[in-house]
Amino acid sequence: MTSNRKDVYSDIFAENTDISSMVLQDGKVSQAQQVCLHGAGIRTVQGTETRYAYTMDLSEEELRKAAKSVGTAPIPGPSPNLSLVGKGVDSIFPEKETSPLPCRERLGEGLGALAVRQFLLDVEAKARALDPSVIKVKAYVSQRMQEVQFAASDGTSFHDFRPRSSLSVSIVMERGGKTQMGFASRMLQMGGEFFSDALIEEVVSEAIRRTDFLFSASQIEGGEMPVVMAAGSSGILLHEAIGHAFEADFIRTGDSIFTGQLGKQICHPSISIVDDGTLPGDAGMLRYDDEGIPGQKTVLVHEGKLNSFLHDRISARHFGVKPTGNGRRESFRCPPIPRMRSTYMLPGQATEEDIIRSVKRGIYAQSFTNGQVQIGAGDFTFFMKTGYLIEDGRLTRPLRDLNIIGNGPEALRRISMVAGNLRIDHSASMCGKEGQKAAVSQGLPTVLIDKLIVG
Amino acid sequence: MVNGQSIIYRAEQVIRKLPAKLDYKLVLLENHEDNIILRDGKVEKMLRATSLSLAINLYLDGRDGFFYTNDLRPDSVSSFIKTAFETTRLLEPDESRTLADPARYYKGGGPDLRNFDASLSEISPEEKIQLLRETAAEVDGSDKRIISMQTRYTDRQHQAHYLISNGFDQSEQSSYCTLTSIITVEGEGGQHPMDGWGESRLFFRQMPRTGIAPVALSRTLRKIGQRPAPSGRYRMILESPCAGNFLQPILSAMNGQALQQRTSFLWGKLGEQVVSPLVNIVDDPLQPGTRGASLFDYDGVATKRRELFTDGRLMTYFIDTPMSRKLGMAPTTQGIHRLIMEAAPLLTRERSGEGLAILVTDFNGGNCDPATGNFSYGIEGFLLEDGIIVQPVSGMNITGNILDVWKRLSHVDNDADPWETELIPTLTFEDVAFSGC
Repeated sequence: MTSNRKDVYSDIFAENTDISSMVLQDGKVSQAQQVCLHGAGIRTVQGTETRYAYTMDLSEEELRKAAKSVGTAPIPGPSPNLSLVGKGVDSIFPEKETSPLPCRERLGEGLGALAVRQFLLDVEAKARALDPSVIKVKAYVSQRMQEVQFAASDGTSFHDFRPRSSLSVSIVMERGGKTQMGFASRMLQMGGEFFSDALIEEVVSEAIRRTDFLFSASQIEGGEMPVVMAAGSSGILLHEAIGHAFEADFIRTGDSIFTGQLGKQICHPSISIVDDGTLPGDAGMLRYDDEGIPGQKTVLVHEGKLNSFLHDRISARHFGVKPTGNGRRESFRCPPIPRMRSTYMLPGQATEEDIIRSVKRGIYAQSFTNGQVQIGAGDFTFFMKTGYLIEDGRLTRPLRDLNIIGNGPEALRRISMVAGNLRIDHSASMCGKEGQKAAVSQGLPTVLIDKLIVG
Repeated sequence: MVNGQSIIYRAEQVIRKLPAKLDYKLVLLENHEDNIILRDGKVEKMLRATSLSLAINLYLDGRDGFFYTNDLRPDSVSSFIKTAFETTRLLEPDESRTLADPARYYKGGGPDLRNFDASLSEISPEEKIQLLRETAAEVDGSDKRIISMQTRYTDRQHQAHYLISNGFDQSEQSSYCTLTSIITVEGEGGQHPMDGWGESRLFFRQMPRTGIAPVALSRTLRKIGQRPAPSGRYRMILESPCAGNFLQPILSAMNGQALQQRTSFLWGKLGEQVVSPLVNIVDDPLQPGTRGASLFDYDGVATKRRELFTDGRLMTYFIDTPMSRKLGMAPTTQGIHRLIMEAAPLLTRERSGEGLAILVTDFNGGNCDPATGNFSYGIEGFLLEDGIIVQPVSGMNITGNILDVWKRLSHVDNDADPWETELIPTLTFEDVAFSGC
């Protein structure tokens, strides 16, 4: 790091996060977890060089020590008082104004432990009432409240509260001596209002439906074939096939297969894809990203043309564009990097029925568990848990446990039909990159991909 | 001894003053880590950090709460524990949730595991950057197809102090450093093949100073021109660095939680031959100077060498104290420390090089159903004809039932990296279903 301070950008990200969870297993709520994360990360950036240090001791002395270790630039006023609520943390930057608390008042409290316990027992009761072949129910409720204060040397600052609640249900059913396990979940940026009878009905019914389906489903001999992606969680296609490769740190280094494609026609003009940080309550919603950029919607592909990549401050500076609000970090322990938020394709003109009818022999992919991508080669995979064989334009045999493989740019070019039934999937999706997890969501209308490898 | 050890005893005092008698496990964790990334000759990212945190398990009449905080100011810890207690009180009793039997605890007097580099945090960043520069310099400018090269150094010192209310008070420490080179090159049809190579050691002075980047470059270049091979049944040669991935579903199915929840395809198969007789796997945590070496597990239970598979027979499950009570089985330990797959010299034949085979060098996604063992995994590697590489492949899946495929293991090599925590050599399986073009 040179001594030319004008070129140095610095920021501080202070966090106080409480996570509480409870588990129902074997008919009892006998396990609970609580996690408290408390600390600050200090970063300096000069050109493309990042230095990062963090401390869990937010005393002025330790913050100054961390700042010195990375050669921080001065952070000008006015910027927020870094005193975290209830923690009495002193600011390393004197004479700061206290920023307003923008959302806490609107959020309400999370659900108390007693109420969570009853909620979980209701989940068990609902599952057993819906199907007598249910032999095991495991349910998990998690509530997180992250409080963040941020200040940067360019004068940016914010103070935010980020609630997040989730429910995960796994069901084991037994029939004729065979057992099958299915799973469903939901995750939203909400407090106690997340929990309702309707949520129990929705998630438990989905888990049972998926488990029931597995008794009659089977694998098929693989090969290349048309794949119809059902609306909703099929958005994993966008996440894996193009989303990661659009993260601009991979463009800056030249690693991504989409390097040099900005402005070029990369798929059919009927296709537009966005990454959206503005959907209220969505897991990927950000009022500010983790480097102070306001939440926004970024059009990645506009009528088939590559319109924008996903930028953090470093890549935006490198390319001379504005950051797109995609700088995210798992916690104060990690520097921010470009990440997705809610990635989805805009609706098209076809209907799902039209699309299925157009396929002679292929598969209809309905639910998924996991996926990944090789950024440079563009090869992606996602694992289909449930779906159907399509024969002569009709859904026939139930299918399960198939890995679907394709190449991102090729798969995008091979999307030939898009339905109008866009659905955003709110399952508990955590995306991993460089050892950091980020809550994301994805969505898709039903689409037809003319050819993918199914195994 | 762990720095800040007084924190754990202060926490114990707070628990003892709670208005109920309860058991507890306290673990104070201290980690020092350095992460430095050099890209194209310049430092891109540097992270230095020390973290201290306290993990608490409270056991109250069958109620089990787990709590974790890194806010270790005395008042914060005190109030955190009081809240934790109130939460634990709200739970329903489950008589299986207790501490381990103290008779099984590690009692001290074990060997020096020689797995902690005390000097690691004192080595200057400049010296670590110099190691990165030397590594990168080996291939710098050597091939015009290189688009970018990232060289990454990571080290970690880990120390933990355990205090368990029924008679366990021990510390452990370990360290490792890793040097990795990842290279992207210009491929065919606009593709940017990427691959890497890394080496890990316990002590900084053991780190190799040559060879890593050249291996990374060679592994990347050989991927140029990857495409799917025709679907069919092939001999599968699974390269050592990724072979452990193919064992994971079987290890997961040995977990007590999966057995108890009836989501394990190994339920009721203890003692049976479930895979090829070539499969001999042990967990050996007591070898000094190795990664994964440990004298006790997270429950304080003394570790020992255990046979997991002998001549293909399933010898044990991973059963902790709660699962032991629920399943009515004797407890073993929670998991694996240092896994070693041993060659079976009397049974292993020379690997056949005849005909078509696919050398799998990495997995790309996929999953295995825990209840049935049916799997589908994406793979990449090379199509071989009579032992010679004829085409780099990617975009292919392998499918089948995990136990069925492991029954068709025909050869076990002897090339596992001794510095890893899982030593699985290159393996050959016959008649595996591949789907491609």
